[in-house]
Parts: sequence; C-alpha cells; structure tokens
Amino acid sequence: MGTIASPMDLETRNETRKDHFVVVHPLDDVQETKVDTEALGPMPMTRTVRLSLLSLRAYLILMVLMVVYHVVMLAR
Amino acid sequence: MTNKTLTLTAGVSPAGVEDQVMPVRGRVVKSKWSRDLLTFLMVFGPGLIVMVADNDAGAVSTYSQAGAQYGTHLLWIVLLLLPVCYFIQEMVVRLGIATGKGHAAMIYQRFGKWWGLFSLVDLQLVNFLTLVTEFAAINLALSKMGVDPRYGVPLAAAGLVMLVLTGSYRRWERIVVFLCLLDFAWFWIAFRLGPPLGQIVKHAVFPSMPAGGITPDLMFLVIAIVGTTIAPWQLFFQQSCIADKRLRFADLKWARLDTFLGACVTVTAAVCMMVAGAASLTHGFHFTDPAQMAADIGAFAGPAMRDLILLMMINAAVLGTTAISLSSAWAYGEVRGWPHSLQLPWREARGFYSLYLICVAAAAGIVLIPRAPLQLIILGVQVLAGVILPSAIIFLQLLLNDKELLGEYANKPWNNWVNWTIIAVLFILSLILAAQVTAPNLFPSAVGGPTT
Repeated sequence: MGTIASPMDLETRNETRKDHFVVVHPLDDVQETKVDTEALGPMPMTRTVRLSLLSLRAYLILMVLMVVYHVVMLAR
Repeated sequence: MTNKTLTLTAGVSPAGVEDQVMPVRGRVVKSKWSRDLLTFLMVFGPGLIVMVADNDAGAVSTYSQAGAQYGTHLLWIVLLLLPVCYFIQEMVVRLGIATGKGHAAMIYQRFGKWWGLFSLVDLQLVNFLTLVTEFAAINLALSKMGVDPRYGVPLAAAGLVMLVLTGSYRRWERIVVFLCLLDFAWFWIAFRLGPPLGQIVKHAVFPSMPAGGITPDLMFLVIAIVGTTIAPWQLFFQQSCIADKRLRFADLKWARLDTFLGACVTVTAAVCMMVAGAASLTHGFHFTDPAQMAADIGAFAGPAMRDLILLMMINAAVLGTTAISLSSAWAYGEVRGWPHSLQLPWREARGFYSLYLICVAAAAGIVLIPRAPLQLIILGVQVLAGVILPSAIIFLQLLLNDKELLGEYANKPWNNWVNWTIIAVLFILSLILAAQVTAPNLFPSAVGGPTT
C-alpha cells in the first residue's frame, strides 16, 4: 500500500527505477483536465460555412419529408 | 507477469459523479511489454463495441441479402469500407479524449442550441426507428426457433434494461465485449458453409460486378451496405462511451488500436455474413429475410447451423439495441445536463436510465403490435440513416478542424482530404438512395455493365 498523492507520481517514480511499471485503469485514475469547452463558447463561423449548414439543413428537411411522404403512400 | 494491486486515495470528478472520492488502484507489472498489453486491455472496449454493434440486425439482413442475391461478388465493397469506418471513428476518438464530453454536448456547445437541437432530433428519430428494426429481428428469429415472441421479446427487453442497471461501466462493458466476441461464430459459420477460400479472396480483393451488371436493385443494395456499415449513432455512441470511461490523452494510441481492431472484426464478420448468404444462393434458395435464410441453410447444413445463425441474429440485435439506446440516452442526458453515466446507480441518474428504458420498451412494444408496418419502418430507417449520415459527418469534420477546441489533436491536411472525399461519396450515395426510394421510376430497370 502506497501513500502517494496521485498515480502520476507513482508512475514517474517507477519510470526512473525502470524495474516495474504501474498501470491504472482510466476509471480508477485521477481525472485529467480537459479542454474547457463551456468557456470557449460557440465556434466562430464564416458566412459561407453558415450558409452551407443552412443549405444542408434545408436539404435534410426536404429529404425527410419526401421519405415520410413516400412511406405514407406505400402504407396506403 | 507478476502483478500486484496498489490502492491509494484521490479525489475525482467524472461527469455526473462529482464530489465523490474513489480509491485509485494501479497494477504493477515488471516489463514494458506487460505494461503496454495491460494498458491496451484496460482501454479496449469502446472501439470494438461500436464496430461490432454496427453489425446489428439490419446489417445481418443487408449482408446476407447481398450474398444471397449476388454471391461473393460484393465482398470488395465491404473491404473498401474498412478504412472508411476507421477514419470516421478515429476522429470521434480524438474528439472524445480531448474534450471528455459526448458528441451531442460538443455540437450544442460549439454550434449553438439551434444546430444542436436539429442534430439531436435527427439522431433520436433514426435511433428509435432502428431500435424497432432490432426488435423486429428478435421477433422474427424467435418465431423461427419456435419461441413465442410475446414472451421472448419482453424478456429480451428486460435483459437489455438489466444490462445497464448495474451501476458499473466496467460490468456493462465486460458483458457487451463478451457478446461482441460471440460474433466470431460467424467465422465458423462461413468456414462451414463458404465457398473455397480462393474465391472469397479473389472477390474481396479484385472488384467485380455480378452477372446482369449495374441494376437499380444492385445500386440499392450497395448503398444499403454503405449505410449499414457507417451509421450516425456510432459517432455519438463512441464519443460518449469514451467520455464515460474517462479515457486519458495517453490512451489515444490504444483507443485507436481498439477502433482499428473493431473495424477489422466487423468487416470480417460482414464478409462471413455475405458468405453465409452466398451458400443459400448456391443451393438455389430465394432470399426473403435472414431468419428464412437460416431455415433454408438448416435444410442442407443441419438444424444446429440454423439455430446458430438465428442466435447470432438475436445477438446482433441485442448488441445494436444496447448501443443505440445508450447513444440516445447519453446524447439527451448531455444536452439536458442530466447525470448520464453508467457508473451511476439508478437513483442518481433517473432521467438517463429512464430514457434508455423508454426507448427499449417502446420499440419492443411496437414490434408486438399485430400487423405493425415493420417492413415500411425498415425501409424508412435505411433511407433516413443514409440521408442523415453525411450531415452528421460534416459536423464531426468541422469540430475536428476546430483548433481552438482540439489544438494538436485537430485534423491534419491529409485527414481532411480523406474525410472530405468520404463525405462527398456518402453524399452522392445518399442522394441516389433518396431519389431511388422516393421516385423509383426515375431510374431505368437496367443500366448495363461489366460482368465477370
């Protein structure tokens, strides 16, 4: 049983000894600091990207409506 | 390898389980080789599960139909999809590890509520319809095995709910990985039924067209193969799974290997399903559905083979159901800000588990309604998934080019070339599929083409 603050310390210490290694399951490990996505806010988008996404959305709505219409026709 | 477990204490704050203190346990090994193997085994899971679960009931039906109608001629298409599967899911791995959040949460945070809502509605709609097809397959397979679906389907649904209610991600993952490994039975099925290995290799490596050339039916099947091999729910599922498992930056290479091995297993299993279909063609049977195909194969290969194929069909549907329902529940939980982790017990993540339960119960219930239009739902699912996929991948591609978000983990130029090519091909196929289904008379009955 060790009294080490984090498994990171444990690994660092073992790496220097080179005679054994510690493997920690991700769920047993101290959680890493990730990108703070909430602080980033929405992605800046150029007008072209925004228009492309809108066209894509319009295409999708149209296609979904066509599929629904076709399926309803088949069901009759 | 001599191992021992070290236990020490550290504070952690995974998604939805803040303010808890968990013991940190590490296993001590004596060689680098053992360290790498053990690390891989600990990281292993999400990649294999997402890929094998993709070979769901719809996939079994599509691949076996391809084999039953065109023999082994379309094997090369499946092989061509291996890098496509890997490249798309590898992007999800990077995004999941770098942000520690699910795909739905990322779309909401980086594109805003309006786009987030559209993506979520698309996902929930296609996922629910796909779930209905999974239970339809369970229904069909149980009927062929002589089990009354009125009991069998609710039992399967109850089992699927119990599977996630253990309050342990690891327990869920181990059970599901075991179910994934059962997929290796397809290798044995193909070995027992299949044509000579030389023919399989020839048609897998050298592209060829079946006799009759390019017809609308063939085009439809090719698009269905592409659509069933890459599905929108996979993006959401694997990223949420990685976030729930709390994979670390150092795990990236192992998560990539997991995804690559998963892609290899799923594509090889798909080849085996096609080979099984081809065996029924060789014996002169006409394909109607995979359960009937299993019964036909049973006529010449024995009842044990028939039952094995039917069980594998049920296993595929069970894997598909748990993965798809979880992708829905994770996505909704992320967007609503609910606690959404398999590590949490029921009482601490009621919304997350309730959504999973509702998805499973409603899909199972629809299948049991007498004269429910299941065939129409299956058709609708194939088309909707094909239509929605390119848009889902475009959001993924934009996120992967977000250097502010991903930094060094963002796409490299070569990633973008590969991915935009994949998106362009998927878009063309989705347009052809949508046009073919919505206006079948638009296409001539045969376009002609080369034969081998």
